[in-house]
Amino acid sequence: MGNLKLALFLAFKSIIKGNRWALILIILVMSLSFVNLLLTPSILSGVTNTLNQQQIDTLYGNIIVDPPPTEHYLGHVSLIERKIEQIPGITGVSSHLNSEAFMEYQWKEKDSPSDKGESGTWSVIGIDPSREVNVTTIHEHIIQGSYLDGNDRDEIVLGVEIAGGDKAQTADFLTLQGVKVGDEVRLTYPNGVQREYQVKGIFQAKEMTQADRLAFVTKKEIASVLGRQVYGDRASQILIRTGQGVTANQIIQEISSLGINAEVRSWSEYGGAVGGIVSSFDVIASLIGTIGLVVAGIVMFIVIYINVINKRRQIGILRAIGIKRDVIIGSYLTQAIFYAILGIVFGGLIFGYVIQPYFEFHPLDLPLGQVSLVVGALTISSAVLGLLIAAVLAGFIPVISIIRQRIIQAIWGN
Amino acid sequence: MISVENLYKTYGHGSAATHALKGINLEIESGEFVAIMGRSGSGKSTLLHILGLLDVPTSGGILVDQKNVLKLNEGEKARFRLEKLGYVFQEYSLLPEMTILENVYVPAVCLDGKNGYRKRASELLEIVGLGERLKHYPNQVSGGEQQRASIARALINRPKILFADEPTASLDIASAKVVLELFKKLNREMGQTIVMVTHEPEDERHVNRVIWLRDGLVDKETKSEYMGEYQKSS
Repeated sequence: MGNLKLALFLAFKSIIKGNRWALILIILVMSLSFVNLLLTPSILSGVTNTLNQQQIDTLYGNIIVDPPPTEHYLGHVSLIERKIEQIPGITGVSSHLNSEAFMEYQWKEKDSPSDKGESGTWSVIGIDPSREVNVTTIHEHIIQGSYLDGNDRDEIVLGVEIAGGDKAQTADFLTLQGVKVGDEVRLTYPNGVQREYQVKGIFQAKEMTQADRLAFVTKKEIASVLGRQVYGDRASQILIRTGQGVTANQIIQEISSLGINAEVRSWSEYGGAVGGIVSSFDVIASLIGTIGLVVAGIVMFIVIYINVINKRRQIGILRAIGIKRDVIIGSYLTQAIFYAILGIVFGGLIFGYVIQPYFEFHPLDLPLGQVSLVVGALTISSAVLGLLIAAVLAGFIPVISIIRQRIIQAIWGN
Repeated sequence: MISVENLYKTYGHGSAATHALKGINLEIESGEFVAIMGRSGSGKSTLLHILGLLDVPTSGGILVDQKNVLKLNEGEKARFRLEKLGYVFQEYSLLPEMTILENVYVPAVCLDGKNGYRKRASELLEIVGLGERLKHYPNQVSGGEQQRASIARALINRPKILFADEPTASLDIASAKVVLELFKKLNREMGQTIVMVTHEPEDERHVNRVIWLRDGLVDKETKSEYMGEYQKSS
């Protein structure tokens, strides 16, 4: 007990009466190191969060109902939609009737049937616009023209990566090369049906992989393309949007209990491509975090080492008068942990009250969307633990190197 | 109290070897105030460091109260130094971050979990004449006062032996006299055993006995006319 008391006392006096500038420097380094440990993963988590949210907002909603493996379509969709809407916590249900289509622009100017012209094959999704706005946010991302109405039959809304033009990121030759609102496009469906549509709107959801490569028509229109009246009550999939306070698993269980012959999945099961990106970000964040920790540790090591070297004689005298090595090591470890705790506190305050609010009001405007910081409990606890371990090592190594010297050598330097 | 037998200390190896002690034999009794004197390089500081367990001999033996202290491990030596030995160094050896009072009670914190050491430190500082300087920092008092505080620190755990390594070397004449008078007082009134290395010839008259070293060996021993606690009782 006495040894611990003395170690704490020696550390306290050393901090209180030691070099103020060294104290300020080391706390500054610790604070910035802690901020760095939080900032990098938070930005990457923010990117991940944006990507995930984009997938939910533009492609999948929160939950997807697919046909059973043996079926191409879900039947009695109106009934299913009504049943699902009864479940508390659900804010939107929208069924999709999907198809592929070969799309052509300015086809009348082609020299011959073999002339590719401005064309390509993309997915076309039939939607009920009044339901779709409760599930996805495509309607909020219209950059030209307007969104679909429920009764539209010969109008189409194109993703910007299909339409092409200045705002598309895809190479021009892979798009329709500059379709504008009001232009005509011709779609040839797999069953041979050919339809001409006027472009009603062009959207840019900034979703990296898929959403901006979709085209939307009304569900009525695509049902008529598929040719049978029965398709009016069928769907390729149903997207579901949930509100706050419910988890995907809860809703999935509820839907499963309705006895619908379908596969019910969370959106995350579809987010495979993004999952890979997220894993890559985690590795990058760990690497940068480790480098940050090593730098913080080295700086702390240097400051403590200089401090210990300057106090070599004092350490020798303490040992000479019978103070145990453990007590002296304990006092320096206490100082190092104290520096780290102050760094964590000040760094945390800087992060929480300066950096995070700044990014909240001024999110990073990246090509993939607006990114603000997302800091999780695991990130915080890893940063705290990492900094404490770095501090302990940085405090322990210098003092152990001095304390291994003979007492006489420490006091008189010979 | 202290029995030294055939003590050797050699620094370096082979042709570069320096033989600092070449077979020292001596006895120091409890309550004695002994000075170790000799020319520079005679081995007096080396002997004091080894007696004080701050250094280890190349060979030989040291018994303190019949205990072979050279057989103690590092932890046991530290404990022995803390409980049984006190040190006063040549240069000022106080910790600059602590007040005079704190410097004095630091060695006692490990042994006394309660706060009794504060009272004892204050009393010792009164004895050494620093009762008014308890809350001063070392850089706020004179060299002589620092050395007196070092003496108080050396006494805080009631050591059996007080070692002093040229304690007056860095002091002016007046301060040196005060320190030596203090040693005499401690020896006379408290029966404190003191072993002091000095090269000041006039210090001879303040001690009971002088052990003269020459080239790493005991050259001679002389008795002083000073009557301390030891001589009065023997």
